[in-house]
Amino acid sequence: MSADLIFEIGCEELPASFIGPALELLAAGWTSEAARLRIGHGEVRTLGTPRRLALLVKGVATRAEDVEERGEGPALSSAFDGEGRPTKAAEGFARKWGLSVEQLGRENGRLVASRTVAGRDTLELLPELLSQLIVESARNRKAMRWGAGSVTYPRPVQWLCALLGGAVVPVRFGVLEAGGVTYGHRFLAPAALTPRGVDTYVDQLREAFVLADIAERRARVVAEIDRVAAEAGGRRVVDDELVDTITGLVEWPSGVLGAFDAQALDMPREVLISEMRGHQKYASIEGHDGRLQPAFVAVANTPVKDVAVSRRGYERVLRARLADARYFFDEDRTRTLASRVDDLRRVTFQEKLGSIHHKVERLGQLAATAAAEVAGVSVDHVRRAAQLCKADLTTGMVGEFPELQGVMGREYATHDGEPAAVALGIFEHYLPRGASDGLPTGDIGALVGLADRLDTITGIFAIGKAPTGANDPFALRRACLGVIRVVTSRGYRLSLERLVDAALAAHAAHLGPVPPVIPVMDAEGKTRKGKPERPTTAEARAQVLEFFRGRLRALWADEHGADVVEAVLSAGFDDLTDAHRRLLALSAIKSQADFVPLAVAFGRASNIVEKQGQELLPGEVDGRLFHDGAEERLHAATQAARVRVDEAIRSGDYATALKAIADLRPLVDAFFDAVMVMAPEADLRQNRLRLVRDVTRLFAPIADFGRIQTK
Amino acid sequence: MTVRASAPATFTELILRLQSFWSAHGCALLQGYDLEVGAGTMNPQTFLRVLGPEPWNVAYVEPSRRPADGRFGENPNRLYQHHQFQVILKPSPPNTQELYLQSLAAIGIHPDEHDLRFVEDDWESPTLGAWGLGWEVWCDGMEVTQFTYFQQAGGFECAPVSAELTYGLERIAMYLQNKDNVFDIAFASGLTYRDMFHQNEVEASRYSLKESDAQQLFALFASYETECKRLLERKLPMPAYDFCLKCSHTFNNLDARGAISVTERAGYIQRVRALARGCAEGYLTSREALGFPLLKRSA
Repeated sequence: MSADLIFEIGCEELPASFIGPALELLAAGWTSEAARLRIGHGEVRTLGTPRRLALLVKGVATRAEDVEERGEGPALSSAFDGEGRPTKAAEGFARKWGLSVEQLGRENGRLVASRTVAGRDTLELLPELLSQLIVESARNRKAMRWGAGSVTYPRPVQWLCALLGGAVVPVRFGVLEAGGVTYGHRFLAPAALTPRGVDTYVDQLREAFVLADIAERRARVVAEIDRVAAEAGGRRVVDDELVDTITGLVEWPSGVLGAFDAQALDMPREVLISEMRGHQKYASIEGHDGRLQPAFVAVANTPVKDVAVSRRGYERVLRARLADARYFFDEDRTRTLASRVDDLRRVTFQEKLGSIHHKVERLGQLAATAAAEVAGVSVDHVRRAAQLCKADLTTGMVGEFPELQGVMGREYATHDGEPAAVALGIFEHYLPRGASDGLPTGDIGALVGLADRLDTITGIFAIGKAPTGANDPFALRRACLGVIRVVTSRGYRLSLERLVDAALAAHAAHLGPVPPVIPVMDAEGKTRKGKPERPTTAEARAQVLEFFRGRLRALWADEHGADVVEAVLSAGFDDLTDAHRRLLALSAIKSQADFVPLAVAFGRASNIVEKQGQELLPGEVDGRLFHDGAEERLHAATQAARVRVDEAIRSGDYATALKAIADLRPLVDAFFDAVMVMAPEADLRQNRLRLVRDVTRLFAPIADFGRIQTK
Repeated sequence: MTVRASAPATFTELILRLQSFWSAHGCALLQGYDLEVGAGTMNPQTFLRVLGPEPWNVAYVEPSRRPADGRFGENPNRLYQHHQFQVILKPSPPNTQELYLQSLAAIGIHPDEHDLRFVEDDWESPTLGAWGLGWEVWCDGMEVTQFTYFQQAGGFECAPVSAELTYGLERIAMYLQNKDNVFDIAFASGLTYRDMFHQNEVEASRYSLKESDAQQLFALFASYETECKRLLERKLPMPAYDFCLKCSHTFNNLDARGAISVTERAGYIQRVRALARGCAEGYLTSREALGFPLLKRSA
């Protein structure tokens, strides 16, 4: 026997970001608890609006499953005495199981007890289960108390609707008791209504002006925005994040068109969109030519009697905000960006690392250093962009909208008559801003951005605040990924180590020498070695490079395989572009049929060399010490390959290099089959090791084959 | 069927409507505090009374001074001093939201005519050591009320929880009267907001942004702080709190003047918070010594 379950938590307006995760926790909580209590059930569905979270479960068994219990008791030999009467052990065992000794079974020479524990009525089990789910749904979320109660939830819970079939489940939460009714839209249909069943729940609520299904509601939000945008002769500016937020703010989306003064359009598009979406949650409209229109869409929760009234309200608020933006825009432009650089002395970057002005000086130097290695770049422009790239942080507009940093820099630089490439570089030095964001299109932005990120990364490590698993307040992981993506996408041939050294040296100059470690006295009066305040430059250098290594692994492993990435990184990654090319070449041959044997053969060679490292002497292979033709053939082929491989590596043609190396495999295999490398005679052994060494030297600059998984 | 209220025509009428409504719903009407405060929350009739178990239902207009917001009477939206209508419902009733919406209807804001929304906004005051969860209430996109369920004040848990409703009177009046400049608001028959407050806006802005004597203010802060601590030791939390408020306003003046650096700011806020905490503790102790009189009354 089964029945459908409707469980709805009705609240005062919940934070939009809470709804999705809460529904997931409800569903997961139900599934695991029902399994634990052995309550069978069918399909689970969740729905949510700002005012309600709902769990719908079909076919919930009205009784939990029966449980067969079994236990083993004493051996028969100790269960009965000489006359066949039960001993105390047997009686105790029987008593424990609530059975008589006669009812016990005998198996494998022991007494056994078994019984069926009848499953309890689901209706008895649900109240506690469901009230637990309420608590579970708000896990890890800021919660509050209300009235004189002590229960907590992100917002006050107003009602509980809990129905199993037609029966109300007596769930309690604080002083609230569940009933069998829900409520419609706060204004349009506030009266109580009784859900008829899980299949009609969504429809009933829709009739009461509530779109409970999130996907349906989101689609309606989009449809409303599209409808209104079309009314204005344009189309919506796509903004999924805004749509998600709006979906979490309404139960019955209703779009209203509003307009603003077209004069505002001479401000950058990003400014207008930020004003509209940031606080007001209005959607922006663009024409079919992609240009922003002086119009917007406000998505209301109620279709009001006369939209002109609310439109006036929406427009008023936006007018005031745009006036603020206009004020900032005009006020900001009364000074040049260049004149603002000095003000950066008063803006702290990091307590120990100094002001943003200090940072700008360092990154200008670092960017110029990097620029010298890139062909066709104007170092003057790079320096200029570096000089100005943070100046917009002191403007009113960026003060109001921090997300407009870079955008305003570009705008104001252009206004000041700076070269277009410099203005673009100021904007682009922030790219990429996220995993899916675009990359810089010009060298200036790319190089200034590199310098900025390296300055931050090395600085934070230098002061001993390296990120941990949970804690990365300076977003160094993202910064590191940015460096890797920018360098590899633009094919820059830069030495990461040289840049890291230069960056660390600049920090050391500012920070001064690392203070000596002083002993500390603990509570018991014992002195212990203190902890260093921060790492030495050498330690920081190692940490930074290790950090890069970790990020490279994280970035490339999914696509190419962790072992291939490890093999490439072990051969060095100072030149990121080169490392990437090696990775691509190695990854390309990985799918070939003969890759594994190749990896086995060369991996073996690699491991031998690594293990024998100490014993190896420098020196050339001596052909007079060959005993087997396999040695001779391998040696000759290796020498010949060497020229070709070195040539290919020099021109970055790793595919050719790897092909030439792969051609040697049969000879390597033959060598290992025929020859005992670790011969007892020292001179033979060393000669053979040198031969293996020569083989590994072919591919050592490309990858360490010993790291490749061959199982 | 109740008659639908039309919008009040003047600022005075707006206040009268809100006062009538909340008085009819069980709130005692008080007057704004006679010391400089930045918000209705700082008034001891909120800050101290939300502490402890005794019930409390009040409503009052609070003239609120924010020296950094002074614009010499030239900005149509920003003021050195604005007026809040403050309501405290303790314990928060289960129908707080409904009551609030009814109060809006009483001032002519009806949900079928305006898009009314509760938009998540959690409030916190570092100086008061207070925080709560709640919303900004939006009327056609404009914030008209801060609606907060206090969780903590002066560092102490609030039990029972108080609901605080803070209406922005100038904003609401501008909206209802369809005025774009705060000074054009009709204050009373024949008198505008400009008539009542413009000169003060000009002079108070000049004082707080340009003319104040920073040295004097620093000295005053120190002596107010010392006196507050001394009074707490003398078991006089209420006069002590007055001195805490004086510290807070003095800090606001120094801050508006630019006399406090970014690094020093945190330190000053800490000092005021410590005083607020001391006053909260002293007040709770005193109410306990009195046997929480209002608690018995409501039983």
